[in-house]
Amino acid sequence: MSICTQSTHKLPLFDRYGGLSALRHVIMLFYDRVLDSDVVGDFFEDVDMARLIDHQTKFFTMILGGPARFADERLAAAHAHLNVTHAQFDEIIMLLRDTLETANFTPADRETTVAAIEARRAIIVTGDGPCSRMTSAHS
Amino acid sequence: MFSHDFSTQLIKTIGVGIGLVDTATGKMVSFNETFGIWFAEAAPERPVLECLDMLDADDIESIRAGRMVELKTKVKRRTLIIELRGHLADHMGHELLVLEGQNISRLRETEAMIDSYATMVDRRTRDLEREKTQVEKLLLNLMPQSVYEEYRTFGSVTPRLFEPVSVLMLDFVGFTQMAAAADPTVTVSELNDIFTAFDRISEMHGCERIKTVGDCYMAVTGLPHPTTDHMLSAARCAAKMLRYLEHRNHTHQHKWSARIGIASGSVVGSVVGVQKYIYDVFGPAVNCAARLQALSNPMEITVCTTARAELEEEFELKNARAENLRGFGEMRVACLSERAPAIRAA
Repeated sequence: MSICTQSTHKLPLFDRYGGLSALRHVIMLFYDRVLDSDVVGDFFEDVDMARLIDHQTKFFTMILGGPARFADERLAAAHAHLNVTHAQFDEIIMLLRDTLETANFTPADRETTVAAIEARRAIIVTGDGPCSRMTSAHS
Repeated sequence: MFSHDFSTQLIKTIGVGIGLVDTATGKMVSFNETFGIWFAEAAPERPVLECLDMLDADDIESIRAGRMVELKTKVKRRTLIIELRGHLADHMGHELLVLEGQNISRLRETEAMIDSYATMVDRRTRDLEREKTQVEKLLLNLMPQSVYEEYRTFGSVTPRLFEPVSVLMLDFVGFTQMAAAADPTVTVSELNDIFTAFDRISEMHGCERIKTVGDCYMAVTGLPHPTTDHMLSAARCAAKMLRYLEHRNHTHQHKWSARIGIASGSVVGSVVGVQKYIYDVFGPAVNCAARLQALSNPMEITVCTTARAELEEEFELKNARAENLRGFGEMRVACLSERAPAIRAA
């Protein structure tokens, strides 16, 4: 007669890809890509680096199932003044896919991660630009 | 040895930024490709303070003196953090200041990330500690401390025989009717108050509450730590519970009336279940206490007379009789009532 103490749940991506080390890799790759992007790079140009990295660390840790909570309210507050458009959000998604591929995430895990961010599109996008999913004009 | 061309090529393309400054004129003499990328204004024969406009004369003096200077420069959209140090060299009679820059942006970004992560982990650790305390409190409500310690250490609980112990079984008279007649939420709320008071009384008498099932309250003395006066403790506990109810009934609209049975014997204590588990005790003493409780009149405590010697000093055993208990056969039983303090003293 014993009490089961072993969890049978699948490990979160954060742990499966190596925890802090993988997180660092993803954040640094992503940071480089967004700065190089002519679509979204300007958003990151004069942002305080430590603050940006702090947000990204917490956000990615949460998205990958690590030990962080990043409330949607905080995400909304961080992006409210930026007027991010759907096209810019699409660019971020594309850069993230590319980043995760470089970081050797499997296609399924890439899509899981991207889906978690896609789920927050309505919180981040506040600009008037067209949504690529809804209009054929955007490519 | 490497050839001169190779060394030149290496210096040109290496990740370290290298620039030469004529100390006499304060002008740049030369610099490698990395230096040129970092400092777009750099050009030969241009004053170093114009090439690196974020520096002033004091900074150059510091570098000359061998100290390190940290500066920021922007390459496209990225702000780089460069650690600049220098040393003096002589070239054909000219004193040159060799500037050597290291891009430490990545290092700073990593430090910021680790700081952020450490804060996060600290917060999570504090949250987990709080949750752990809550869980511990809950588990301690489900099982005795020593059983919990065993579970925490080994991840399992071994069934254990406790002998002898006394089991106290209490049940309310007409609870079902009361719950049906009055507002059930009020009834349950009152039941909660009463059980909370019983828990305090049990604790005072070294009595371990095992469980409540509906309006039934079960507690055991002599578990998990054996005691010689387990029967007396259970009797004191039961008497105080009835006294509490009497007192409460004077001041409350709903009158609560209980029956109590106390039996001594052996029980086996263990955790039952895996996902939804509970600490429970099993054994003849449990069944016997239930039968004795059923024999009691309202606000009465029934015990076996075998415990007479232990109880007589403090309690009177009234209505001693033989009863046929299901599963136990004929048994001598009696009702317990507290002696008045004056009689006790005599």
